[in-house]
Amino acid sequence: MGIRGRVARLVAELPQEPEYPAQGRTLFVDLATRELQSGYTPRRILETLLSGRGANMFYLYRLLDESLYPLHPDIPLIFGSGILTGIVPSAARGNCTSWAPESGVILDSNCGDYFPSFLRMNGIDHLVLYGTCPQWSVMLIREGQVEWRDGAPYVGLDNIDMRTRVADDLGGVWARNMSMVNVTRAGEHGVLIAGIMGGPKAIYARGGTGAKMGSLRLKAIVTLGHTHEFPTPKPYKPYNRQIAQKLLGTSVVKHALSTMGTPFLYRPSRLLGAMGTKNNQETTWTDALDAEHIGPYRPGMEGCFRCPVNCRPLNDLHTGPGDKYGRGDGPEYVTLGKFGPNLGIDNVEAVIRLNNICNDLGFDTASTGSTIGWALELYQRGIITTAHTGGLELVWGDPALVEKLLFMTAERKGFGNTLADGTRAVEKGHYPPEALKYRMAVKGLMQSDPHDARILKAFALGLAVATRGMDHLRNRVTLEINAKINDDPAFKERLYGGPVSASPTSYVDKERAVRRCENIYAVGDSVGMCRFTTQLFNSPSLPGFEEFSNQIANVTGFELSPAQLDDIGLNVMGVERLINFRLGVRRKDDTLPDRWFDEPNRHGAHKGEHIDRAEFDAMLSRFYDISRLTDEGIPVASWRNELQAALGAS
Amino acid sequence: MAVTVRLPAMLRRGSDTLTITEPVHSIAQLVEALGRIQPDLTARLDDTIFNFAVNDEMLTHGVDHHPIEDGDVVEIVPAISGG
Repeated sequence: MGIRGRVARLVAELPQEPEYPAQGRTLFVDLATRELQSGYTPRRILETLLSGRGANMFYLYRLLDESLYPLHPDIPLIFGSGILTGIVPSAARGNCTSWAPESGVILDSNCGDYFPSFLRMNGIDHLVLYGTCPQWSVMLIREGQVEWRDGAPYVGLDNIDMRTRVADDLGGVWARNMSMVNVTRAGEHGVLIAGIMGGPKAIYARGGTGAKMGSLRLKAIVTLGHTHEFPTPKPYKPYNRQIAQKLLGTSVVKHALSTMGTPFLYRPSRLLGAMGTKNNQETTWTDALDAEHIGPYRPGMEGCFRCPVNCRPLNDLHTGPGDKYGRGDGPEYVTLGKFGPNLGIDNVEAVIRLNNICNDLGFDTASTGSTIGWALELYQRGIITTAHTGGLELVWGDPALVEKLLFMTAERKGFGNTLADGTRAVEKGHYPPEALKYRMAVKGLMQSDPHDARILKAFALGLAVATRGMDHLRNRVTLEINAKINDDPAFKERLYGGPVSASPTSYVDKERAVRRCENIYAVGDSVGMCRFTTQLFNSPSLPGFEEFSNQIANVTGFELSPAQLDDIGLNVMGVERLINFRLGVRRKDDTLPDRWFDEPNRHGAHKGEHIDRAEFDAMLSRFYDISRLTDEGIPVASWRNELQAALGAS
Repeated sequence: MAVTVRLPAMLRRGSDTLTITEPVHSIAQLVEALGRIQPDLTARLDDTIFNFAVNDEMLTHGVDHHPIEDGDVVEIVPAISGG
């Protein structure tokens, strides 16, 4: 059955009236014919998976034909906003879901800024796109109605120029009544490490989203329309005020996120001896990139829709108005790490400039920094030579070289064509098989975080089991390094639902902490909450299940207890694993790069630390046990049957 | 006895460095001594965000009893995550 048959069958099952007053419709868009269909996510799905990432998985599960390939037009690209997105402070997020062309497993990428909230303001909770536009197109959603614009005038534009041109042409004002997701040249050229931009810096980054949207010849989706409040069964604003107070009263928000943003983490990672350096050959780097050195270039902070935190640092290199890349948004910690120590660059101005270029060219800075770092190490080892690189000398610590590589990659020119294939460079025949030994990836996805996890065992387990590949944002037990929590076993037990070893290097009970984090983060994504402000990511005192439960009741009328939400988080992971199983993922894929097993850490107090294969395997088995997974990492039969009954036929 | 304590910007009252000259033998004693120099520090340091690094080595557990010696440099490090 083709995608149109699958969509028809699914739409026939969907309610045609909202399940609660504020619910938006799911809009199915055949890009080839521009035919539109719609329905509403059924209540049984909302109570099993919520909305956002959770319901996105329902739609992917039902519409995926795994006999095809990720960039086939019958593989849908799905945008979804959380059940509280646009309604609750700091819940400005949405997910983009598909089959990842970069990794080959599920694509599921989260983004904030304004698009997820403004999509809801237009009465749309989920957007399911399939088919290929006959020519490059821009989809305009104006006050809930779809219009089409010729995309040809925008082809070749990167993010900065695209945002200027679209605002001029459509007459909207960013962040007031207009938002956009768009691909850049990199997306147009099928670059697997390109993302879908959702703002000046915001990006649906991971898994090859840009290549997927570009393959549909969809240059952009623009929303236009006024913001408004939502009809709800019970008032939600009084509780919003409590949530906002909780956010702003939390130390990590007050002292770090609102003042400097995430680059704060560079220093503790460096001091721990866990800063991924030169493609993780080393684990410490210069203090010249500490967050305090970014201060002189930070004119202010910005934020997402109705978020009181404002954690997004702006930058200005003071190079004058003629320098396109002299100012911008960021960098975040990930970009700082991936384009600083990971590439041997020790100059903060150079990192900021590369960050600004990546934001314009639409690159996932995690995959892009990792892909370049991988190439540099291969060159260092003689596994590739100038014969592979078109004569380029790939040396560490050369910002000019990196800048050149970024522009080459965006258009797949020369060696940029190799880099554009990201983790798949060996499979595509660019590199010899030996290169895989140095690829810092799991399930075909480069590591998101610059943190080297040979020391922190819960972090390591999380990276191994994350359903979208090697990514800390799915389950990182961030508080694993917080000494005050480690030294308070009773408090730590309450946080994670049972005892967890105080020692970051221990394997004991770490599966419990990963399980709890994976559940709450999946729920956070499905309600639309920012990861930075979700409990357990940066603080034990940020909003979590209890606050989500209360506000879901106010907004939807659904009574879902904190314990039920915990189960829903597990369900989201369970469905993702069912989809991954269809894509060939097995236990052997829940692993880590060989380097972390075979090469001990060489720096600092944790010199000699590595991942022990037997200990890791035992920890993985325990994780499967408490996660109700079989030995191959899919839900056990009884739970599988429950999930499949809720999801319907695939 | 002289122990140098480096403060992050959020805890500073002027200088980014304090010097403890009274005898302290552990981090717990150091925190008490800091409170005598800058009284609000005791309460402000009772916060899960703050870790201690001794001579550039970050402590992740067993902090209170970690030994301090003459000449040590102790840094208070805010620990958060990023994306």
